[in-house]
Amino acid sequence: MLRIRFHGRGGQGTKIASRLVGTAAFLDGLYAQDFPLYGAERRGAPITAFTRISREPILERGVISEPDILIIMDETLLDDPMAMPLTGLKEDGVIFLNTTHSPAEAKNRYKIKAQIITLDITKIGIDTLGKPILSTLAGGVASKIAGIREDSLKKAIEKELSEIITDSELIKKNIEASLYCFNIIKPVEVKTSEITHKGSTVISVPFEAASISTPSVNTAGNIPLRKTGNWRTFKPIFNYELCNKCMICVARCPDGCIAVRNERGFPSIDYDNCKGCLICIDECPVHAIEKVREVHTW
Amino acid sequence: MVAKKEMLTGNSSAAWGVRLAEIDYIPAYPITPQTEIIETLAKWISDGVMDTRMVTMDSEHSMITAAGAASATGVRAFTATSSQGLLYGFEMLYTVAGWRVPLVMVNVSRGLSAPITLEPDHNDILSARDSGFLQIHCETCQEVLDSILIAYRLAEDERVLLPVLVNMDGFHLSFTREPVEIPDIEDVRRFLPTYNPKHAFFKASQPMAQGIAVLGGPIYSYFKYQMHLACMKGLEVYKEISKEFEKVFHRSYDTVEKYMTDDADYILIMTNSFSTLGKAAVKRARERGIKIGLLKLRLLRPFPEEDLKNAIKGCKAVAVLDQNIGVGKGGILYPEIASTIYNEQKRPVLLSFIGGLGGKNISESEFDFIFDNMIKAAETGKAPAPQLLYTETEWNEMEKLKKMAGKPIFW
Ligand code: SF4
Ligand code: SF4
Repeated sequence: MLRIRFHGRGGQGTKIASRLVGTAAFLDGLYAQDFPLYGAERRGAPITAFTRISREPILERGVISEPDILIIMDETLLDDPMAMPLTGLKEDGVIFLNTTHSPAEAKNRYKIKAQIITLDITKIGIDTLGKPILSTLAGGVASKIAGIREDSLKKAIEKELSEIITDSELIKKNIEASLYCFNIIKPVEVKTSEITHKGSTVISVPFEAASISTPSVNTAGNIPLRKTGNWRTFKPIFNYELCNKCMICVARCPDGCIAVRNERGFPSIDYDNCKGCLICIDECPVHAIEKVREVHTW
Repeated sequence: MVAKKEMLTGNSSAAWGVRLAEIDYIPAYPITPQTEIIETLAKWISDGVMDTRMVTMDSEHSMITAAGAASATGVRAFTATSSQGLLYGFEMLYTVAGWRVPLVMVNVSRGLSAPITLEPDHNDILSARDSGFLQIHCETCQEVLDSILIAYRLAEDERVLLPVLVNMDGFHLSFTREPVEIPDIEDVRRFLPTYNPKHAFFKASQPMAQGIAVLGGPIYSYFKYQMHLACMKGLEVYKEISKEFEKVFHRSYDTVEKYMTDDADYILIMTNSFSTLGKAAVKRARERGIKIGLLKLRLLRPFPEEDLKNAIKGCKAVAVLDQNIGVGKGGILYPEIASTIYNEQKRPVLLSFIGGLGGKNISESEFDFIFDNMIKAAETGKAPAPQLLYTETEWNEMEKLKKMAGKPIFW
């Protein structure tokens, strides 16, 4: 059995990527199972999805804690204590990382020992689809690593995308981009063992007083400490020559990242927390905000 | 059209069951992780592939009332909910069952608040065990689709005429896709013909009062006990129906499913989607030479006492893994199974485990812990105290979280 775990951010297409591999494996005549983990469903938040493929019926369910293949669709997740995408990767497992770095640079930078494949699929997405939506691209990469046939991948994309989008031109572009990724990745052999971690010993849970055992939190909230700036793929930048100070962007930013902080009365952005949703760009009536691609926020 | 196989989530499998059963009326109210069922059906209705009336309601209480009332007019009705939603409509479960109408409802199991969670355990569905609804519990997405078809046959049978709840686990089934065979509509029509109500319906020419008030114990006792008898009749009716189902669709669903139990010395009893994990553990233990099997309870109401007794006959130890907790007593299914075998001449030692609360994973070592305990209990003839499945690693993580939450408090 191959266990594939996908890590991405809300809006990148993590769930669809895992589904594409599931459907492609199913069309290849294998047993397949896929499953997204929801929770914080918002644009930019870390998302995990799972695909299992096997020649025999699958007697597993739920999260994959020991993947054979890791598909990391957003490099910034490697530094995110909430995501921890490398956890549990099996010995001899394979990592795919969406990055501008080469495998050697990535290994060094993130102190990774496992076999690693890199490709800047965000750039491919922007160039071919016009948007950093990575579902079919990551699906193509994962299918190649998992040894799925090209034809099954193509059929899977047709099937899955036709259920969610009607634009046949966009589906065609997705197939092309996905197959491009599929073919650019060199075939790899995933030689992990079937032996999995057994889990730790069972204990007897002791009684604890209500001052400990009730579901209440006594410490101050720590949300302000959690910076969301590294969720960005694009950075919004003001052009004060055009801005007429209407303050629509201030009102529309869902995360309250825009405020007036300078004497001249222009709005400015808190880049530590701006998550790059680009709603401000859509809302600005005079197009005074533009976007630039960002690779590493910090 | 012939049967086709597709990757479906538990929720879309439920929606397919409803579509194939050609339902007339669906009142709906959203709750995670059930909402996808209703969304899928709503899309099919708006696309014109389903000829069904859907109405969004203001709460689960109204929703179950509307669904039951529609059933009482003689149409085929469906609705679905989960967890807090089931509890919010709880009053109406007893009422609708008392009307003796063949409503089918899906519950997507999710642990009950507080603390609040989205992941599954079975306190929600088991709270409805005495309501008069029959209950079918599912392990796979295929079972969800098939059980809905079986549920309508069962509910609409003249000998039963009680509503049915079909249960699946949130996340582990509801959002998990696996290959599911979607039956051909002609086959479904053969198996599940149009509902032809004979006791509860509305016709202008034939007025009737339903769900009447009774004052006086003997009258009330009579009706309640008739419900119980009808529900118990459901056992033989279920067996007939599942045989017919097998003839048409070549998949068989007994009241209980036996996995490697035939020559087993030890049997683990489970329900729902975590049974898959139990089966994997049993398979591994068999490879090590332990004669163990798994018994999955599918029909929980009526309770399949005879089938259960027969399945565990001759084995040395039985462990019940309850994915629920009756606070102040322990596992909910354990006493049901204990009472089933209490009067048997020769009975196995019966062990109680609670695991998978709020969707907590049950690891290999936790299953091995159960198996070791069964072997020891069979040797000594003594059952250990009921045990929660919880590992040292999980405890250590919990300790860290408690610290983060500022516990303990020192004054
Ligand atoms: S992109 Fe614009 S709207 Fe979105 S978070 Fe950043 S400043 Fe706010
Ligand atoms: S919406 Fe545009 S014009 Fe208005 S304040 Fe913001 S940047 Fe300036």
